[in-house]
Amino acid sequence: MYKHVFSTLMLLVPAVAPAATIEIDVNGLVCAFCAQGIEKKLRAFPATEDVVVSLEQKLVALATKPGQDIADDEIRRALTDAGYAVKAIHREDETLDAVRARLKAKR
Amino acid sequence: MRHTIRFMRLASALLALAALAQAEAKPIAFANGTTIMAEYGAGTMEEVQAFYAPFYWLSLGGGHLRLDSDQISRTREIDYFRANYLVHRWNLEDAQANVFAWAGLGSATGNDFRGSRLDREAGFQADYETRRIYVSLMSDLHESSAYSHRVDTLQLGFAPYAHDYTDLAAWFVVQARNYTGVLHRGVERAYLLRLFKGGAWIEAGVTDHGKPQLMAMFNF
Repeated sequence: MYKHVFSTLMLLVPAVAPAATIEIDVNGLVCAFCAQGIEKKLRAFPATEDVVVSLEQKLVALATKPGQDIADDEIRRALTDAGYAVKAIHREDETLDAVRARLKAKR
Repeated sequence: MRHTIRFMRLASALLALAALAQAEAKPIAFANGTTIMAEYGAGTMEEVQAFYAPFYWLSLGGGHLRLDSDQISRTREIDYFRANYLVHRWNLEDAQANVFAWAGLGSATGNDFRGSRLDREAGFQADYETRRIYVSLMSDLHESSAYSHRVDTLQLGFAPYAHDYTDLAAWFVVQARNYTGVLHRGVERAYLLRLFKGGAWIEAGVTDHGKPQLMAMFNF
């Protein structure tokens, strides 16, 4: 019985668990003030754990707190309200630390 | 006069270039951000400003401007409230460009008129920026029943390396500034080093007459 319940839960987990990081490709991201404004806007979400901004890769990466998520529409609206154009939003299994390391390695 | 015509031609060409390239600028740093700025402009202009931006396209605030003519004994001091408006922004793949406009009202005193006068201000800025190149044209007009003067500033910047968010950004900037209203003779050129990191921006340089020009700006 317990085994059956556990198996069912395990099947459900991947469907509801948020991705490790949310990556956002942004146009117009050329200066520290741009990055500062975007970071401030995204950190205002209660679900935000941490934010990384790369001008080089024109990328904003965001990690949410465990068990929490932010909808793509909300992220898109936050970036648009900050004055920037969102090209794409994609969810990755990488942790934010891994994203940081990847961005550092590319420099 | 020849300098002025040459300056205006150059300014028009750069403005057209900025417009073609689809420009961006920074009297508004970012939404929900506060900007504090102080500038010492080679003994001719000193200005402090503080603005708050409730939106990325609007900031409200005020400042104090002091102008000292290098031609005659003329000093003006203006305290003003101002609204900055982002007319348009172009977010490009590797660049950003803006056109800003502003308007304000203030109170002016000076040694060439009595009492204080209502000061009316209007201006615009167009700029285009990549991580290596920066072009900006700004024009700021102040008028009252006692005076009318305009300060036009053109800046061309070059970054020796492409900085990232956490890096110290360094820029070499050449500036040409023209004052109307018998404030300064000819076009004043300045050569500046601009450094910024995070929300702090410091700029220092010298004019072609050997006078210092300094600027500090903080965004938070």
